[in-house]
Amino acid sequence: MRMPPQPLTLDGLTHGYGAGLAVDNVTLEVRGGELVALLGPSGCGKTTLLRIIGGFVTQISGSVIIGDRRVDSYPPNQREVGVVFQNYALFPHMTVAENIAYGLAARGVSKALQRERVAEMLATVQMTAFAERKPRQLSGGQQQRVALARALAVRPRILLLDEPFAALDKNLRLDLQIEIKRLQRQFGLTAILVTHDQDEAMSIADKIAVMNKGRIEQLGSPIDIYDDPSTLFVNSFIGSSNLLAGTIERLEAGTFGVRLDNGAFWPVASNRSFARGDAVFASVRPEQLTLATAEAPGRFPVNHALSLPIGGMLLHDVRETNGAKLKVAEPRVPGTSLSMGGAAWCGLAANARPSLFPRP
Amino acid sequence: MFQRTTPSDISYAVVLRLLAGLGVLILVGPVLIVLITSFTTSAALKFPPPDLSVRWYVELFDRTRSAHIHTAAGNTLWVASVATGLGTLMAVMAALSIARVNRPAARALEASFLSPLILPTLAYGLASLMLFALLGFRPSLYHLVLGHLVVISPFVFRTTLASLTQLDPSLLESSASLGASRFYTFRRITLPIIAPGVAAGAFLAFIASIDNVPVSLFLSNARTSMLPIRMWGMMESTLDVRVAAISGVLIAVILILMIVMDRLVGLTRRMGV
Ligand SMILES: Nc1ncnc2c1ncn2[C@@H]1O[C@H](COP(=O)(O)OP(=O)(O)O)[C@@H](O)[C@H]1O
Ligand SMILES: [Mg+2]
Repeated sequence: MRMPPQPLTLDGLTHGYGAGLAVDNVTLEVRGGELVALLGPSGCGKTTLLRIIGGFVTQISGSVIIGDRRVDSYPPNQREVGVVFQNYALFPHMTVAENIAYGLAARGVSKALQRERVAEMLATVQMTAFAERKPRQLSGGQQQRVALARALAVRPRILLLDEPFAALDKNLRLDLQIEIKRLQRQFGLTAILVTHDQDEAMSIADKIAVMNKGRIEQLGSPIDIYDDPSTLFVNSFIGSSNLLAGTIERLEAGTFGVRLDNGAFWPVASNRSFARGDAVFASVRPEQLTLATAEAPGRFPVNHALSLPIGGMLLHDVRETNGAKLKVAEPRVPGTSLSMGGAAWCGLAANARPSLFPRP
Repeated sequence: MFQRTTPSDISYAVVLRLLAGLGVLILVGPVLIVLITSFTTSAALKFPPPDLSVRWYVELFDRTRSAHIHTAAGNTLWVASVATGLGTLMAVMAALSIARVNRPAARALEASFLSPLILPTLAYGLASLMLFALLGFRPSLYHLVLGHLVVISPFVFRTTLASLTQLDPSLLESSASLGASRFYTFRRITLPIIAPGVAAGAFLAFIASIDNVPVSLFLSNARTSMLPIRMWGMMESTLDVRVAAISGVLIAVILILMIVMDRLVGLTRRMGV
């Protein structure tokens, strides 16, 4: 008797605390059962947006629609929105089991049903052995699981998670990310996860909304956002990239001929429009550049300063002749040793797809 | 870690210990002297006692010979209990209503609720006597309750406010997002979490009422005599050693109460706030 996943629509939400806007005309459609990550630097308005959805903050204008209900006038306790707070906010004076039962008890669910649901939720998050513990006797990861179980026990329509992994160790994070993804799927929940960690957003979310200064700069699948960032901000926030200055020299159908300031000429496909003579940045990911020993079209001279093995990759730190730094990543051939230093030629790897942005 | 002890470290430690010792002496010394004196065999309030006995305690608990003391003690306990009960209720409601409000009006109210802790209580005692006289009231225990209420409720107000400011607001939001009404949240989250703070404040208020002199001085009379006033009267007229015995009983009772409260709610930790 589970509810079908509920869609969530944010329609022109705006909110500010005194001067300036913390959330600026945000419109977002989340399909039922989808997990959307709100990704952006600290202070860009992610928490405020989440708090508006939860009903803890009343927006200046705009609407929140859950399923087919406009919930703007609903207090938090009638929105059926589950929240996992950044600090977990477990009730310190209650045991794990009492915490999980809390929402059910508040709704007047019978004791027998409460016990049944608590046992089920404890099993779901693998915390059965800890039912009688107090929150302070649990590790951060365990508290996180209890917070999740507590939020899910009342079967919310929407699940909101505010930086749920921020306080956890790196290796514990991955476990919990998988766990949250699994539960979200299993419960068919529409979820919004706030994070400032792009790797986290990439690995867990169906869609990422990149926020900057209270606005959503880009909404798309992790792959879209990584491969085709729509603004320089998104480009620099997601993954690392090299920015090369250049000018549009030739226009062909869907392809621009870019003359880089370092002299190389690159044909670049882009669905943005540019005119001949426009100043642009070509953005390339480190893994889309290669180093070679010989000159060829599209290559430019660099000085190879340093190579770092990073897992299966080699990260080269190279300098253009004008001193600008670039990062080049290549798969490491096992068994070979590093060759360091010296002049080299840098160019695009096969299948590389640089992005073009207008250069102010 | 290797650390060299310099002469200045030593003199610092010596001075610190001397000061601490002096503090203990000043605080505990008189209490000990009163306690020891209360076990004297002599009929004079003199230290050191010539010999020890429980003579004055027997005298103190004698129904007929100490009847007036028992009446005063009964009045004092009754006033303290009622004033503490009412004061706690009022102070908790006041603290709840302004704890999370940031407006200047709330800060002004906070300051005025706390002001009886600072303002001269003697002046307040006189003022309340004049007010009651003006209104034509005859002195009664109810007026003593009213008078004590004003001076003791700030203790509860202060500890409750401190507990409330330490209460993590995300707990309340969490509760609401789980579907709880405001009242349910209050009953199951706010109240249990602030309860130790409230209890500690109520305890302090109770003690403050028990040994309040300035207000009782003005509002009590022969019919509604209060223990501290009665003790003072006994001192003045006869240098009665039972005064020392009463002090002994009060010290013992309060000590026991304090230990119990500390076990229950961590009183000493909360008194500092
Ligand atoms: N309660 C508040 N009062 C005043 N300003 C606030 C409050 N909460 C957030 N802000 C401001 O609003 C902006 C957005 O904050 P927030 O939503 O917490 O961002 P994020 O979660 O992305 O770090 C910030 O500039 C922050 O200083
Ligand atoms: Mg935040």
